Amino acid sequence: MNLVPGTLLHGVKPKRRRRSHAHTLCSALALSLVLTTAASPAWAQKKKGKAPPAAPATPPPAAAPGGSMDLDAPAPPATPPAGDVNLDAPGTAPATTDTPPVSATSGGICDIDPSACPKESDIKAAANREISADVYAVQQIYALRRHRVEVNPYWSQTLNDQFVGHPAPGLAINYWISNVLAVGVNGHYYEPFTSDSEFNFTNRRATRLAVPLTEYQWNANLNFTYVPIYGKFAGFSDFIFHFDMYVVGGVGALFTRPIPVIDPDNRAFDYKAKVAFNAGLGLRIFFNRWLAVNLEVRDYIYSEQLESLTIARDPQDKSQWYSDSNQLTNNVQAQFGLSFFIPPSWEYRLPK
Amino acid sequence: MITRENSALSGLGRVTKACGFAAVLAVGFLASEKTASAQEIQLTGPLAGAPAVKHERLYRKGRFEVAPGFSFTLLDEYRRQMMPSLRLQYNITDWLGIGVWGAAGVINPTTDLTDKIDAKSPSNPQTWLNVSGNYKDQTGTMQWIAAPQLQAVPFRGKIALFQKIFVDTDAYFHGGLAFVGLKERANCEVGQCVGAERKETFDMSSRTALAPTFGLGFNFYLPFSKGLMALNLEYRALPFSWNRGGFDSRGAGENGKFPDQRITSADQTFKFNQLIGVNIGFSFPKLKVSDVEEEEKQEQAKK
Repeated sequence: MNLVPGTLLHGVKPKRRRRSHAHTLCSALALSLVLTTAASPAWAQKKKGKAPPAAPATPPPAAAPGGSMDLDAPAPPATPPAGDVNLDAPGTAPATTDTPPVSATSGGICDIDPSACPKESDIKAAANREISADVYAVQQIYALRRHRVEVNPYWSQTLNDQFVGHPAPGLAINYWISNVLAVGVNGHYYEPFTSDSEFNFTNRRATRLAVPLTEYQWNANLNFTYVPIYGKFAGFSDFIFHFDMYVVGGVGALFTRPIPVIDPDNRAFDYKAKVAFNAGLGLRIFFNRWLAVNLEVRDYIYSEQLESLTIARDPQDKSQWYSDSNQLTNNVQAQFGLSFFIPPSWEYRLPK
Repeated sequence: MITRENSALSGLGRVTKACGFAAVLAVGFLASEKTASAQEIQLTGPLAGAPAVKHERLYRKGRFEVAPGFSFTLLDEYRRQMMPSLRLQYNITDWLGIGVWGAAGVINPTTDLTDKIDAKSPSNPQTWLNVSGNYKDQTGTMQWIAAPQLQAVPFRGKIALFQKIFVDTDAYFHGGLAFVGLKERANCEVGQCVGAERKETFDMSSRTALAPTFGLGFNFYLPFSKGLMALNLEYRALPFSWNRGGFDSRGAGENGKFPDQRITSADQTFKFNQLIGVNIGFSFPKLKVSDVEEEEKQEQAKK
């Protein structure tokens, strides 16, 4: 039996349900909810020292009380050990008796069936064969992403615009196709948070030069995320936490307009959509298997139509408000937020 | 039993029903985590009570590090600061080091804004005090930085790159006090800062600013070097006030936010200077492993 807190409460629940009083039912369920919620972090890191659900068919000789060590202990072989024989290798020829066995006095396979006793040449061949090891360098990845949905609310801050700040709340939703590849969308709402920096004003006043400015309204993007790097850290040599680093890229629309600087009395611009490509790098640190904090730097690249630096004879002529040439613009943002993975749990394909 | 339960349920009010339904849903949702929980039972065998890291490679403890590198500033206004740097450090423990970081501002290219001011700023009495004939020559630069500092290493571990390359890594925080050698526009009084028309150049002067410095970084210990070399990426904040554009922008009016026709320390405005650095660290003496050291001591004690 799986003696984790969630299961224990689940088992108790039917008794409470038999009570007749309606409020007692509600209270009991609420209590269950509170206790279950309080207990849920336990499955991420804590243990209760109870027996695992599945014990080997044949217990190992040195099993700990309660069988808690059985998971890692190999089951005893059906036959006595035969050394490093390549029993799994297909097409292995039976040993002939013309070569003395490697170990004829071990009481193993050589005593039972001398013809199966490995020769020294067999062992060399086994040592040299190319193996296809099914052992991965990082086993049972702590936070699997495959077939999960990541909901990532965050706050972004401009990194490369000294004139206008474009801070914004953002939201990303990714579906993880595999453990390292996701497809998703993200977007920001910039409009109420745009700020014309003091540096811009100071520079304008001192040099009598106006720099064309731009403000954003919102954007939305379709992205692909790839995780080439993941690992774990020991914190203060006491606890371990997991992280990954990812690259992200995509394409979307960014709604922008010039802030009228050259002729603010006459010009009032409307937001226009621009095609924006994006590319970025991110770091995600897992608190548990469904909650992570992430830090990302992403560059949104688009072609900006700036305000014209000259005032036409007819200042109301909107066709003269924009400059003739567009400017390739990089909007580099730092994004800091939380990631929630849904569903919050899963079952590993292979046991630990 | 069934009768009693039905009776009880039939008496539920709307609110109680909603409460119960929500709680059942929530409990069911959370209880569904039980399948994963089965995997989370920790073993009580040989690993019970064991340290988080066994046979830890002591990349730092008792070792010196010499880390030459290159740093550059972010969010530059008038000039970029690109600096060869050097960090010398002694690691007292595996989690605490003391050292000094220094950099020389030998490369200071102008930004696009500076070039445009140089080319397009009008020459009239309103700008004579602020923009010289060679504007780029009046912009401030960092000449050198020296920062005694402490480095704390709370996190260390390893990363897998494409499941092929495995690199021991640590993450650290550093903090200290920085001495920054600056070259910026020299102070001048009313009437002395500008002549009848724009000057070809303005006088520049040097000073040393004091600033806190702090940041964080990653060390990636190169596997082939057996603990000798590490690739280091570092972020450093260096907030202080200085006159980067060489302007008269402060000193008069309400809260001193208006120009006062002279260049003084009031014109030094706050800037949260930020640098990114890439270094190659060389550590010596030879790398040791934690448990081996202890095991050797235990062996000797037994003998």
